Amino acid sequence: MEKFREKFIEEANDLINELEKVLLALENQPKNPDLIQQIFRVMHSLKGGSAMFGFTKMDKFTHHLESIYDLIRNSKLEINNDILNITLASVDHLRSLLQEKDDEDTKNKVQNDLLVAKIQEIINENVMAESNGKTIQPMEQRQNKEHATYYLNFKPHANIFNFGTNPLYLIDELCDLGQYKVFPRFDHLPGIDELDATKCFIYWDIFLATNQGINAISEVFIFADDQCDLKVQKISEFNLLDENTFIGIIEESVRSHKEIDLDQMMLLTHDLEKIYEKEKEPQAQTKSGGASADTSISSIRVSSQKLDDLINWVSELVTIQARLSLFAQENDSAELSAISEEVEKISRRLRDDVFGIRLIPIETMLTRFQRLVRELSQELDKEVVFKTEGTETELDKNIIEMLADPLMHIIRNSLDHGIESAEERKILGKPKKSIILLKAFYSGANVVIQISDDGRGIDPEKIKNYAIAKGLIGAEAELTKSEAFDLLFLPGFSTAQKVTKVSGRGVGMDVVKRKITEIRGEVEIDSEINKGTVLTIKLPLTLSIIDGLLVQMSDTKFIIPLSSVDKCYEFKHKVLENAINNLIRTDEKEVAFLNLRQMFQIEGTPPETEHVVVVQFGTAKIGLSVDTIIGQYQAVLKPLGRLYKKQNSVSGATILGDGTVALVLDTNKLISQYATNEIKIGG
Amino acid sequence: MDDTQIQNINNTNTFLSFQLGKELFALNVSKVLTILEMKPITKVPNSPEYLRGVINLRGNVLPVIDMRIKFGMSATEFTTNTCIIVLSVEIEGETIQLGILVDSVDSVIEIKDTEIEESPTIGTKYKVEFIQGMYHLEDGFIMLLNIDLIFSNDELMIAQEVETNASVSNSEK
Repeated sequence: MEKFREKFIEEANDLINELEKVLLALENQPKNPDLIQQIFRVMHSLKGGSAMFGFTKMDKFTHHLESIYDLIRNSKLEINNDILNITLASVDHLRSLLQEKDDEDTKNKVQNDLLVAKIQEIINENVMAESNGKTIQPMEQRQNKEHATYYLNFKPHANIFNFGTNPLYLIDELCDLGQYKVFPRFDHLPGIDELDATKCFIYWDIFLATNQGINAISEVFIFADDQCDLKVQKISEFNLLDENTFIGIIEESVRSHKEIDLDQMMLLTHDLEKIYEKEKEPQAQTKSGGASADTSISSIRVSSQKLDDLINWVSELVTIQARLSLFAQENDSAELSAISEEVEKISRRLRDDVFGIRLIPIETMLTRFQRLVRELSQELDKEVVFKTEGTETELDKNIIEMLADPLMHIIRNSLDHGIESAEERKILGKPKKSIILLKAFYSGANVVIQISDDGRGIDPEKIKNYAIAKGLIGAEAELTKSEAFDLLFLPGFSTAQKVTKVSGRGVGMDVVKRKITEIRGEVEIDSEINKGTVLTIKLPLTLSIIDGLLVQMSDTKFIIPLSSVDKCYEFKHKVLENAINNLIRTDEKEVAFLNLRQMFQIEGTPPETEHVVVVQFGTAKIGLSVDTIIGQYQAVLKPLGRLYKKQNSVSGATILGDGTVALVLDTNKLISQYATNEIKIGG
Repeated sequence: MDDTQIQNINNTNTFLSFQLGKELFALNVSKVLTILEMKPITKVPNSPEYLRGVINLRGNVLPVIDMRIKFGMSATEFTTNTCIIVLSVEIEGETIQLGILVDSVDSVIEIKDTEIEESPTIGTKYKVEFIQGMYHLEDGFIMLLNIDLIFSNDELMIAQEVETNASVSNSEK
């Protein structure tokens, strides 16, 4: 039972999320009957489930809530802001009810009573309407009733062919009347030596759901009346053929019994009818008898653990495949090469597909932002429209989860600081409604998310002055515009004059930056005064495969993430050895470099010609000296594990084609860890 | 398989013995996943000395610990007998896999509960809490290790390093 409860909680969470989403959509199109219908359906599922799994409070609460939407559905009430506010508050309440362990949570109880009272208030304003509302229901049912289900037993006489009648044509004609399920029966079929091809031994059991009435059925057989035995029985007032349970039951009974037991069938349908009546009542308007129940099979629910396992296996396959390719190269066999290439092709496909499974559209996290904008704009008395573009862009599930908080923060900042008050906008001659736009799109192996507003923008001079006042930069520092904006990401930086409830406590953009860096993303700000601010976040598609540069020192191999690599240079060992202050000249520019061999205490002597990989470190460029650069490598990132948790400069390891392990460097951490005063950052 | 059988397997008194220098140690086979021949180890820069590096175990990255360093001896020198024993140990409630580097793997032995003697509280150079007990052989003894505890901290296993250092280095020659 506990297991089912968990399942229900999971499902209920989905339902609540859906409810929230639809409610927000409803705000924009309050008259859309489909949306109201959807709300009703979600609430109903929630109510049914919570009652079944003992969430009594939730059951009752949803019931109250449902009453409102019943009125709305029956056009006795119109959606207004009050109703939406209460429903959204109820959504939050439902969430906490779902989490509630024991029944004695007083805070929840108070909230519960409060909301129920408000709901009652709304309903009571429409007492008249409520009484009318009930009269509408039977009408809906009648519409559905028109589809009745019939059972036909059609036994043609053996000599039916002599009259020139084809029983199959009759069945075809019958099936034109509506939905059908036909079971041919062969149990009267004689053995092969007695079989007479001119005689008919087959008979049929037919279930037909039609709105044409029993007369239409009789009409089909009007000319074959004396050539067959026909039993027609109405078994239900409803269209039972829409019910998978019913179909399952009849299929089962057809398989196991020789004849269909009509009495039993009537009993069964009677029971089913009851369930049907209960379940289908709220959906009566949308269900009109056509094919409809098949949508549920288009997707299945899989635990993310299973997906993680699958990805692990695929990663291993990719590793093994790299080994096979290497082996095939070394052993000059045409056949082996062919196989290896084939395996490579398939494993690449498999890898892409499996990683694709984990990708979910960005849309899934937008609801909470819409909600945030809606509520904050009311609170701050600003008129804001939240627009989205490219929400079908997909990202790894883990990335999306980790992205939600930073994005929330960014949007909050935009609302609070970016967008001006209504009066201010009027003076500036800007449209009354301001826009926050969230735009997502693909760019190479990255996904870019842009959040822009048309607010007051950020003044780089202001930032600079503030940073100088705070002692973050020297007074004479020359900063470009983008460097100035980068200062915003420093810890403790907040230019907001007053601290509000919403934002401006100086914790903020640095956390945003850190969180985004954690998922190997980059973030930058661009802004124009009085035009608005654009925040661009660049993210990798997945977390577990990275493109890297494979380098070697003595017999140890390392991978430097390609995303941070700027350029590579060759240098004589002597030049590096004699470099003053660890500075070298590349392309007419001085670049500081770190001697990785020294830093990692790698034994052995360096070769005469070494390589320097210049990587991006913030806005600065830093060189890393290595023995040789082997080439580009697609690395499946593996964690180093608990024993190496103190190790910062290595973000993980990957297994190379020859089976050895290469370490993946985290250049940002590596450099900040070893950067000493000798190195002039920013030079 | 019924429950009692499962229990028997979990509490089995089968031990795998291995050698570090001249000394014999043993650990419960239930902890052992596999034994590997020596293979190239990738050193992770700036990590403690006893962490020799990482190897590839069937597509996963496995840390390798030099048991000789952990037990206060000189670093393992690789010979044809050097082995990596892959263990599954529990550290602070988390099961992790790691390899230990030993000079050679000796044998698998059955030891009855009654044959396990308590380790003397004095006279051994290793900290008592890491030794589950002693098992006497004709010409010496095997120290049965409490393997989960050994990896729960970064310390070396040796207790009275100063006094016994001389004898250790002597016995190794």
